[in-house]
Amino acid sequence: MKKMCIGVTGINAVDNPGPGIGVIRGLKECEDLNVEIVGLAYDAMEPGIYMDWLVDKSFILPYPSTSEEEYISRLLYIKDRTGIDMIIPTLDAEIPLFIKSKEKLESYGIKTFIPSQEQFNLRSKAKLEETSSKIGIKTPKSKTVTSYDELTKAVEELGLPVMVKGAFYKAYRAYTHQEAVGFFRKIVAEWGYPVIVQQVVSGEEMNVVGVGDGEGGDLGLVAIKKLWITSLGKIWTGVTVKNGKLFELAKTFIEKTLWRGAFELECIVDHDDIYLIEVNPRFPAWIYFATGVGINLPSRMVKRAFGIDFDNSTEYEAGKLYVRYTYDIVTDLSLFQKITMKGESL
Amino acid sequence: MERLSQLAINDEGFIFDPYTGNSYATNRTGILILNELKNGKSEEEIAKILSEKFNVEHSAALKDVTDFIEQLRSLSLL
Repeated sequence: MKKMCIGVTGINAVDNPGPGIGVIRGLKECEDLNVEIVGLAYDAMEPGIYMDWLVDKSFILPYPSTSEEEYISRLLYIKDRTGIDMIIPTLDAEIPLFIKSKEKLESYGIKTFIPSQEQFNLRSKAKLEETSSKIGIKTPKSKTVTSYDELTKAVEELGLPVMVKGAFYKAYRAYTHQEAVGFFRKIVAEWGYPVIVQQVVSGEEMNVVGVGDGEGGDLGLVAIKKLWITSLGKIWTGVTVKNGKLFELAKTFIEKTLWRGAFELECIVDHDDIYLIEVNPRFPAWIYFATGVGINLPSRMVKRAFGIDFDNSTEYEAGKLYVRYTYDIVTDLSLFQKITMKGESL
Repeated sequence: MERLSQLAINDEGFIFDPYTGNSYATNRTGILILNELKNGKSEEEIAKILSEKFNVEHSAALKDVTDFIEQLRSLSLL
């Protein structure tokens, strides 16, 4: 098979890891794909740059918040240098930029497999309640707030405890009004407005990862329960589960939104009631778990993008354990020098 | 009963619920009760098996079975 060159972002395999390394492991382990990986990083210290058994070449990108023009011209430069055929963006903040520039990238021979702007908007935390009610999925009540007064009103209406969440990142559980105010201020200082206040529903927290084909079908699904999380709330150990109702919810979500691309659904399961609490428009950082149980979603996504046939079954074993671990690399300073001085590893 | 039939129970008493991802540990008696419940036996029938196997009074065995079933209910496994 002809070698494909795939660019992957989120290679910051740190204590709050990006999904990139998990995605790359899936692509490299797929026996019927022949891939060269270009790591797309935002900082010379991102560990993926130095993981040469997974990442073949690396480039530094400007932050998505700088300018669209600068960002895209950097990608086109990387296309010239490496012949990149496809990019898998894995970080929330960069997805809107890729959505906007999808056609332009395609015209230069760079494929993506991402949701549309409309689909991306539907799952935003501020709109989730409205979307869920339209497609017949339960979700906790939530309020979008932009001031202290609105926060107070939202807490009164929803009743304590509440979840206080940033529009993109961070979520805290507040048991008192004072705590809610503290978390509100913390999120605003770090991420700005708006802040979402969400009702707390009790039950087991479970997650589903999948890829929508853009036509109402899926390329595979895997459901897990996190068993142990870090102080940053990131999974450290988990277990696969098989819960028919959870799959039903995921399939309804895909069918009704015609979702295209990777997603992670965060759900609360309370006996027969399942609440959707968040939709992440990308692979989660634990995506290698799916590959490890036989559902190699990153490789399926690439195959779909290139029109290669594959088996999209969702047959995996429940009770498979995921254990994350840390690792050390000792390497020469020359690669760090190249990345710092030239912005690329070539 | 459907949930019960899905439970994976090993010989050492480790129980995994594939529906919720929760795991539990039980003893030899617990394994026996779980397996007999899976076989569709009633509380009375299981108590009879227990009292014969472990040579205990039927009333004591029945109390153990009832307590264990109550625990399964509280864990939503029944």
